[in-house]
Amino acid sequence: MPKPDVPSLVGGLVLAALGVVLLLDRLDAIELSFGTFAPIAFAAMGAILVALGLSRRA
Amino acid sequence: MGTAMANSSATATGGTPPLRRDPGRRVLAGVCAGLGERLGIDPLIVRVAFVAAALAGGLGIVLYALAWVAIPRGEGEAAPRRIPGDRGSVEVALGVALLALSLLLTFRELGIWFSDAVVWPLVLVAAGGALLWRQSTKPAEEPAEVRPEPEPPKPTRAGTVSRTGLGVALVIAAGLAFLQATGSLVAARDVVLAVLVVVIVLGVIFAPWILRLVRSLSAERAERIRSQERAEMAAHLHDSVLQTLALVQRRAEDPKRVAALARRQERELRGWLSGRTQRDSAERRLASALEDAAEAVEQAHGVQVEVVAVGDRDLDAKADALVAAAREAMVNAAKFGQGSPVAVYAEASDGGARVFVKDRGPGFDPAAIPTDRRGIRESIVGRMERNGGSANITSAPGSGTEVELVLE
Repeated sequence: MPKPDVPSLVGGLVLAALGVVLLLDRLDAIELSFGTFAPIAFAAMGAILVALGLSRRA
Repeated sequence: MGTAMANSSATATGGTPPLRRDPGRRVLAGVCAGLGERLGIDPLIVRVAFVAAALAGGLGIVLYALAWVAIPRGEGEAAPRRIPGDRGSVEVALGVALLALSLLLTFRELGIWFSDAVVWPLVLVAAGGALLWRQSTKPAEEPAEVRPEPEPPKPTRAGTVSRTGLGVALVIAAGLAFLQATGSLVAARDVVLAVLVVVIVLGVIFAPWILRLVRSLSAERAERIRSQERAEMAAHLHDSVLQTLALVQRRAEDPKRVAALARRQERELRGWLSGRTQRDSAERRLASALEDAAEAVEQAHGVQVEVVAVGDRDLDAKADALVAAAREAMVNAAKFGQGSPVAVYAEASDGGARVFVKDRGPGFDPAAIPTDRRGIRESIVGRMERNGGSANITSAPGSGTEVELVLE
């Protein structure tokens, strides 16, 4: 079985999570503002960068 | 962004260049250069547009980040001004910084927060301080050595300066942010302006002297490094080639023995020239290196050399110099000890090492050594001092000799 590409996997999961958050906002299940979305966006970018960097170092 | 990408794919088939980031002409990631190439306009115009959009509520920053992710990298060569170093480490550091920022913003949003005027300046000071401390705790540049194999690229001076500059800028930004938040910026501005004027005036007056002083210090440092390299090479040649030539003269009546000595010296010299000796020593330990040196002295001079070692440590450059100095002391004891056995006692730990070389020969007066003899002066005392250690020789006519070598 081929080894999964970790950065792609993390990137995909992060995008899926962002999509879920935006969908919940659209359905009025949560109220998304700049103050709540900014930490999520930063965390998403941080997770992708950490995965990419760790994979490159390995 | 979607429109830009659609346009790109549509026009790419029409003969115009595809939308690619241009790393050859980049300032950050080559987005503006790529867009300028694609649109057929000067990249500077695109850059100005992005900066203007960034100042208008940060929209330009978001657009640039999105374009960076979405537009593939072109084939152009990377500009040499890129910060060198391990790219993976930089990405991990940036990622961790973003995660930390995300955590801070979450706390702020939840109301678990002290004050913007305190936390953000503290964050900037911490980031800038971390960069500056990292630079200052790195080992200083060492003089170039013979490197037979290419090694991974080391951070250049430009990279070091840019990281230091970034650290200083972050700390200054933290100070300004704190002054602004506490309403003290206007008062501080007057003081800073006065200091700045004085510094500029003094700089203009003293610039030629400062420049000359810096150049003089650089030249002095280069000369010191050259002088140390010459001394190291002279000490090595003395301990190896000159010693072997002296042995060859002494054993001239035994052709087989002379040929064996010549072969061993040739192997040793070739290994040293090719750097193999340095690579081998990286895999060895101090105690075994001392035993090897004692064995070589025994074989060359036919004198018994006993080694007792307590503790051990890696054979780094300093320990290597300690072994070379101890070997020279053993050779001297074998040559001038009138056949008396040579005793070597070593104490070593990761913190330091101490080696004693003793013989019960006729002894000598250390002060009476001619100035042109390099054995003790350069190969033992000079070598230990160049490597941050010391050598103490205790001897008197008729009472044997003890050489104490200390590496802290």
